[in-house]
Amino acid sequence: MQDISLHLLDIIENSVRAKARNVKIRVIKDVGENLLRLIVEDDGSGMDSETLAMAQNPFYTSKAQREKKVGLGIPLFKQNAELSNGSFNMSSQPGFGTVLTVDFGLNHIDRMPLGNLKATLLGAIVGHPEVDFQIILINHDGGKENSFHFETAAIKEELGDIPLTYPDVIEYIDQSLNEGIQNTNMENV
Amino acid sequence: MKTLADLKKIREKAQEEMKLRGGNVRVKIVVGMGTSGIAMGAREVMKTFLEEISNRNLTDVLVTQTGEKGLSSMEPVVDLIEEGKAKVTYGNMNPDKVRKVVVEHIVNGRVVSDYVVATGD
Repeated sequence: MQDISLHLLDIIENSVRAKARNVKIRVIKDVGENLLRLIVEDDGSGMDSETLAMAQNPFYTSKAQREKKVGLGIPLFKQNAELSNGSFNMSSQPGFGTVLTVDFGLNHIDRMPLGNLKATLLGAIVGHPEVDFQIILINHDGGKENSFHFETAAIKEELGDIPLTYPDVIEYIDQSLNEGIQNTNMENV
Repeated sequence: MKTLADLKKIREKAQEEMKLRGGNVRVKIVVGMGTSGIAMGAREVMKTFLEEISNRNLTDVLVTQTGEKGLSSMEPVVDLIEEGKAKVTYGNMNPDKVRKVVVEHIVNGRVVSDYVVATGD
């Protein structure tokens, strides 16, 4: 994975596979604290403590049909966070869901770029109409704070039976995310 | 700023269109979005499908994402499902190939056999 947004997509797919109905994604950039933080919270099936520990092991996968029993998504994400002097934290409760908090050193030379956040979010939202996404982007810089909140439940309610893949809807979500990403300075991070 | 009022207009327009053509989904596209698919470019494949649907105003096409399907060596992998026809699986996809599949297969109804890695279930 070349950037944080690709890891985020991988994590969202994990939530969807765990049958989450709600996924909350927060990206927080704090210049003063030299921090880039990603929090993904879902209400999927969750994991017991044993599975939670194993999920961080590259020789474990929950994907039953796989011949090769490796699961590199989470271990690689953890490694990439730690390389930038950050941290990786996953907590979970069976039946309630999983929360993942990943910190990166914002200025660290070995921090991977945030990458194309819009492509990740747009694909996930449109590609998983059964899941409600809540997206929050926050930019702290000096005394200023800009934030962006986006909830797909309200959009779906307004659309009724019109699918999210309807061309004008794709454009609507694309433009909304674009505005939010620009307003919170999450481009080229 | 985009507002929910914009969505209301979109809904009215879409409902009008659906009344005219009966509201059926003609083609369903499923993009494999497992870890290896993502690492091999599946996000850009998804993005290109969405761009093409939007630019060409394809109102009878659905796109979804799914996990891994055990074709790791051929990622990114895309299934194209049309009602009453065998499922077509395209492999080693990239944005250029996506654009070709949209024009040839989805718009003109001709399978792009060079990119096919499996058919049927």
